[in-house]
Amino acid sequence: MTDDDDLRTRLHRADPAADVPPTAPDRVSRLLEKTMTTTTAAPRRTTALRPTRLITLAAAAVVLIAALGTWFVLRPDNTPGAPVAAPTVTEITAPGIAAKCAEPTADRLTEAADLAFAGTVTTIDGRIVTLEVTNVFRGAPTDVVRVAQTGDISETMMGSGKFEVGRDYLVASSEGSMLTCGYSGEASSPGLAGLYDTAF
Amino acid sequence: MNPDDRRQRFEAVAPTVIDAVRRFLARRTDPATADDVLQETLLVCWRRFDDAATGEVLPWAYGVARLCLANAERSRRRQGRLLARIRQLDPPRSVSPAPGLPDDDLAAALASLRADDAELLRLWAWEELALSQIAVVLGISANAVSIRLHRAKRRLRDELRKGEASAGHEESTEGSRP
Repeated sequence: MTDDDDLRTRLHRADPAADVPPTAPDRVSRLLEKTMTTTTAAPRRTTALRPTRLITLAAAAVVLIAALGTWFVLRPDNTPGAPVAAPTVTEITAPGIAAKCAEPTADRLTEAADLAFAGTVTTIDGRIVTLEVTNVFRGAPTDVVRVAQTGDISETMMGSGKFEVGRDYLVASSEGSMLTCGYSGEASSPGLAGLYDTAF
Repeated sequence: MNPDDRRQRFEAVAPTVIDAVRRFLARRTDPATADDVLQETLLVCWRRFDDAATGEVLPWAYGVARLCLANAERSRRRQGRLLARIRQLDPPRSVSPAPGLPDDDLAAALASLRADDAELLRLWAWEELALSQIAVVLGISANAVSIRLHRAKRRLRDELRKGEASAGHEESTEGSRP
């Protein structure tokens, strides 16, 4: 074994990585952040609302549809106990309300919503809008939400006023019915993210 | 594995893995490639972390890094060939320069070995892995590692002896011991 030891010692002394310093903690966290956000595209609540992420997410949505099964198994979810095998689907309806809207408040949102989530629209089939859920703030964990648009909600949705494929939305519903009137809309609409932050 | 557990476990082992993989790459490629491959390795490790749940993380991560590095070198060679064809130039001489060793004789001896043998020796002496761990990195049985490593050591010793004989100088492994 001494021959082996000699050989190992000689090799060891020539180790080109001998003077590689330990990785700085901030480099570790940078690498980690990049790793986890790149792979999962399931940002936490605050990051989902940053406009700079929208484009990335929109592109990611296309990939996500293709890789749906895998993604469900691997994504880090904020909701422990969420099923990993088959996607769970929640269905709500979005009635067209002609009534005038009172100014939305976080209190009212907290009180009324039994489901609130952030999601990206993956498909729109006729009046059925399918959203890939990236975060559930309230309600049972779910992977996909289908919104049946029973009326014209364009007046009451925040942001662009309608669902569009690839865009991110914050949606709240009460007893299976989507809350409009400033309580649901595009994630980047002014004030909406703040409202959700305060409410949940 | 619960997603939160998974994340926590990954974050717990990541600093060790990052350090180890950085060294692993510093021993085998240039700094720019090492940076790229480190990020790629982490991505793959995170994506396939469940595979590592049953065993030791480090040898598994080395295995991932090894394949990522091979991929990087393959695509670089491909780019090199394409460039060469377009410009009708010679392909780049050195594809991914391995870092120079302070011990010239040893460097020459290692370079003259087959790539597989040299890699076994590096994993054994530099990553300081046990036979069973090397087996995980290379995806072969511990038994095969034992046999091949034994042979690789013999070949390295032969090469070192040959080098010393032809250079005609006195330095030997015995004399250079601290």
